[in-house]
Order: sequence, then C-alpha cells, then structure tokens
Amino acid sequence: MALAHEVGRIIGLFALACVQVTLLGLPSGFTLPLVPVLVICRALLGVSDAFPDVGLGRALRWALYGGLALDVFGATPLGAHALALLLGVLVVAALTRQLRVERPVVPLLAVLVGMLIYETVLALFLQPGAIEWRSYLLMVVLPSVVIALAPTLPLFFMLRRVLRGQG
Amino acid sequence: MRPTVATQPLWPAPTPMRDFLDDHPIKLRRERSPVPGSLRPFVLAIGLCLLAGLLVFLDRRGVITPARQAVQSLTAPVAQRLTSLRDEAGAFITAPRGAAALEARIAALERENGELRNQVLRLEQVQVENAFLRQQLAIQQAHPWTLLGAEVTVRSPDAGRRMITIARGSREGLRPGMAVISQLPGTPAALIGIIETTGPHAADVLLITDISSQVSGRVIHQGRAEVGLVQGQWQRGSRLRLGQITRALELAPGDTVVTAGLTAALRLPFELAAIPPNIPIGSVEAVRVIDQYQIAEVRPFVDPDQVRYVWVILSQED
Repeated sequence: MALAHEVGRIIGLFALACVQVTLLGLPSGFTLPLVPVLVICRALLGVSDAFPDVGLGRALRWALYGGLALDVFGATPLGAHALALLLGVLVVAALTRQLRVERPVVPLLAVLVGMLIYETVLALFLQPGAIEWRSYLLMVVLPSVVIALAPTLPLFFMLRRVLRGQG
Repeated sequence: MRPTVATQPLWPAPTPMRDFLDDHPIKLRRERSPVPGSLRPFVLAIGLCLLAGLLVFLDRRGVITPARQAVQSLTAPVAQRLTSLRDEAGAFITAPRGAAALEARIAALERENGELRNQVLRLEQVQVENAFLRQQLAIQQAHPWTLLGAEVTVRSPDAGRRMITIARGSREGLRPGMAVISQLPGTPAALIGIIETTGPHAADVLLITDISSQVSGRVIHQGRAEVGLVQGQWQRGSRLRLGQITRALELAPGDTVVTAGLTAALRLPFELAAIPPNIPIGSVEAVRVIDQYQIAEVRPFVDPDQVRYVWVILSQED
C-alpha cells in the first residue's frame, strides 16, 4: 500500500513537471515554477506537522521526485534539479522549524529563500562557463523568484487544505 | 419527573484529519514548538543530496544517460501534445476579435505578404543573376574575352529594325561598335548584335539579323578559311547571308562562320574595330553560286529574337 502511494506520488510529480515545462511557459521566456514552489510549500507544511521529522522526510522525497522529473523533461543532467530542490528544501526547513507557518509572509519568505538557493545551485550545475553573477542575478534569478512568488500563497493554502483533508 | 436528556450528539464525531496524499493522519502545530526536531530528516536530506550528486556525476559520465534518454523518449509524445495544446490555446486567445481587429489583422497580413513577395522576387532575381554569372564564367574560361552581362530590357516594337535595348550603358564602359554575344541551351556563345548607340545606363543593340547589319566574317571549310561579308536578312524572310566568297573555296552546308575582325586587324578608325575575331556567328545552311562568287544562307548559332540576357565583349586579350 505504501509502495503504491509512493508510486502515485512519483507519477503525480512527473505529471506536474510535465505541465510546468509544457503549459506554464510565459511569453517572457520564464516558466512558472510549479514543482519547486509546491515542494517548498510541502516542506513548510512538513516542518509544521505534528511529526515534523516525518513531514520533512516526505517533503524531501517530493523534492527528489520533482527534481528528477524536471531533469527528465528539461533534458538536464539527471539529478541537477533534484539536488537544487533538496538543498532549497533543506535550508527552508532549517530556517522555518521554529516559525508558525500560518502567517502568509512565511510561505512567501520561504519560497523566496528556497528559490534563491534553487536557482543558484542550478546556475552552478548548468552554466558551462564562468558566471557573471551580477547580471545573472538581475536577469535570471530575481525575475524567476518574483514569478515564483505569484502562485505561492494559492498553492500553499490549496496544498494545506488538501493535506488536511478538509473540504 | 425530570425529562431525560438525550445523550446522542447533534453532530457526528469529527473524523481525524488525514493526509490524503500521504495517507497518514496529520496534525498542524498551533504553537511554536520549543523542541527542535531530530537530525534524522537532515541525515536523510544529506543522503538524498549525495544520491542526486551521484546521479549528476553518472549522467555526465554517460553511465545513466541512455536510461534518461529512454525515459525522455517515453515522455516526449505527451510533452509535445501538451505543448501543441498550449500553442493552440495561445493562438485562440490572441486571435483578433471583432470586425475592426480582423480588418487590421488582414491589413497587416497583406503588408507582410507584399514584403514576402518582394523578397521572393529579389531572391529569384539573384538566382537568375547567379545562373548568368556562371554562364559568363564558363564563356570567359573558353574565350579570351572580358565580358559584361546585361539584361534585355526592350525589344524593337516593329519589324522595321531588329534591335534590342540592354540595361547597361556608357557608365559601365559600353561604346558603339562593341560585339554583343549570347548563349542558349545547346548552343555556343555566339554573336547576336553590335552596339549602335549608348546612353548612360542603356544601350541599343543592332541585331545581326537586321538588314542594315554588316560584319566581316570568316567561313571555315575543311581547315581552310575565306573572308566574306555577313549581312542580316530578316526583313527579306531569312536570317543571315554570307557573301563575297570567291569560288576558290567551295562552301558546303555545315561550314562554320565566325567574325573576321577585319576592321580591328587593319586598325581602321571605325566603330566596328571593337569586334574581335573568331566570335562564332552561325553555320552554313545552303550555298548558291553567282558568277565568280558564292552566297551562303547562314543559320545563326543563337537566335537573337530568343535571348533575354546578353554579354558585351569589352575587350579581348591579345
């Protein structure tokens, strides 16, 4: 039963990654980062769980599956997105263990920090040559983070509602 | 008696909150927990990070790349379908609505269509020019001539004068008396006319078939040559006539006629001095003998009425 649920999670995250890379492209060339935001929100809800270790463990597995799915759809080295997401989740979890996540500013700050780490790690893995960090931050990282903030609150509250199982 | 109070609850007992994704009951912490969690998830995170790093390493080494590509090939059709759906939806959303928007769109498309047509025309012109330049190169490699290509812009509107106008003039170094040649598929490059007048950007060419055209020619028969006069005959129902050939050389159909370049050879100060010798003109079709001379009907190698692009012989290497 647990294995079936795990397989279902993997399939669900692959489906979301597929939706992200195909349907959520913006005219500006950026993509709405559905999977990273969901994974960071899952980490937030995990650390605020009654059993934070279990919740965080699940969030880390989400990060691995979602990252591998993005690697498959994005044709990047397998594990690059996964590592970036795992590090983002890890930092977010470490920073928010002592916070109350019900306040809307917490998910926003968590996604901000998580996406900064995610984009930075990705840049280190995927950029072939030396990176000019100033322009890369301005042209790539900051817009990506801002775009990620837009769906954060709806996704966070929707995910919380689903996890609580209350209609 | 005191009425009995019903002990049944008005609402059913609340079901415990469940994590429908993870199938485990969850309970959100309402208060700030002073107790930090264990290090277990962080150990798990480090383990997963190491796993991800190992995957990156193996993929960059190409060890697991075939497996990744196999998965990608499986997911590619779904991704393509979704992408095309997004494109179709985007096209539908951005499609113009209303008569005014449609008219504006049509006008924009017509403008674009016009520009594209112009581009196609320019491209076709370049292709034609390319073909002519290749032809010119082949001629120049076979003959010691310096050529200048020109398009035929105007043909004589009446049968009185067999002339054409070409799109090159004195600005490009053309002057009266220069020989004009052309080539059709399956023919050698051959004389078709002589420049009669020049303007800055155009020149009139008198075709060799015109009755007023007279050029010194040399007929070659079995290794021997005789000089005569090639005259246009178009207005007389024929093409060319080669005259003033003595009977010393017996002409026969199929003999080749080329320019003699007599004016140039004698260094006479005439316009025709610009015509070099040995430009092919045509071949003998029929021969008549009148007194001491022979007259030959000559069929030009290149029909001047068929040409669309010509070359002017600017000079010849000695």
